Amino acid sequence: MTKPKIQCVCGFGCGSSLMLRMAIDDILKKKSLDADTFCGDVGTCLSNPCDSIFISRELAARIADRANVPVIVIDDFMNSQEVESKVLGYMNTLQ
Amino acid sequence: MEELIKKDNIRANVIAEHWEDAIRKAGQLLIDNKKIEEDYINSMIDSVKELGPYIVLSQGFALAHAAPNETAVHEPCLSLVTLKKPIDFGSPNDPVKVVMCLACTDKATHVDLLSKVAKKLMKENIIDDAAKCTSSDELYHVIND
Repeated sequence: MTKPKIQCVCGFGCGSSLMLRMAIDDILKKKSLDADTFCGDVGTCLSNPCDSIFISRELAARIADRANVPVIVIDDFMNSQEVESKVLGYMNTLQ
Repeated sequence: MEELIKKDNIRANVIAEHWEDAIRKAGQLLIDNKKIEEDYINSMIDSVKELGPYIVLSQGFALAHAAPNETAVHEPCLSLVTLKKPIDFGSPNDPVKVVMCLACTDKATHVDLLSKVAKKLMKENIIDDAAKCTSSDELYHVIND
């Protein structure tokens, strides 16, 4: 399996996406999974090469129909159970 | 203990009328301390109007921020307020009890600071603990200790 690139997206790619990225990095580390994570903004995220996009529900609606990679919606960025189950769910699809 | 948010930028039990007012009051602390200009507050509010209330990242917690701005932000900084009366932002994670303002000059300079704060915020129940604080002093210790 090649290392997946996960893009975390918020309005400007510097605030909430960073929080989400940290939450995802935490899970990856805890489960010894290997993936690259980076932040993007909702306006330009579709032109950044990546294998999946993690994003809030409100913003997902703006990109979902145009994205050609899986878009994973996170409702609560600080709920580690939710982030964990969605990250693991996505990583499982790659095997 | 490392001070992540200065005492001057923390206020407990703030009274806000609605979500715009909540963002304005949290941002006002940074204006009072000469860290940002009013323009940045307007941008934070405009971004919610344009993109929706996605800044309500978690149950009861909003991270107000706007695009990096070198003119209206003098240095990367954070403020934190708790609301006396929780307020609806129109998000599934309503009502909001804790508002943090993030002001950044570019996409990189604040990353270290925000990462440290994010670690703190990912601790279980921290938003509830913050919301329960009755004084700014107490709130200062919840976020910085």
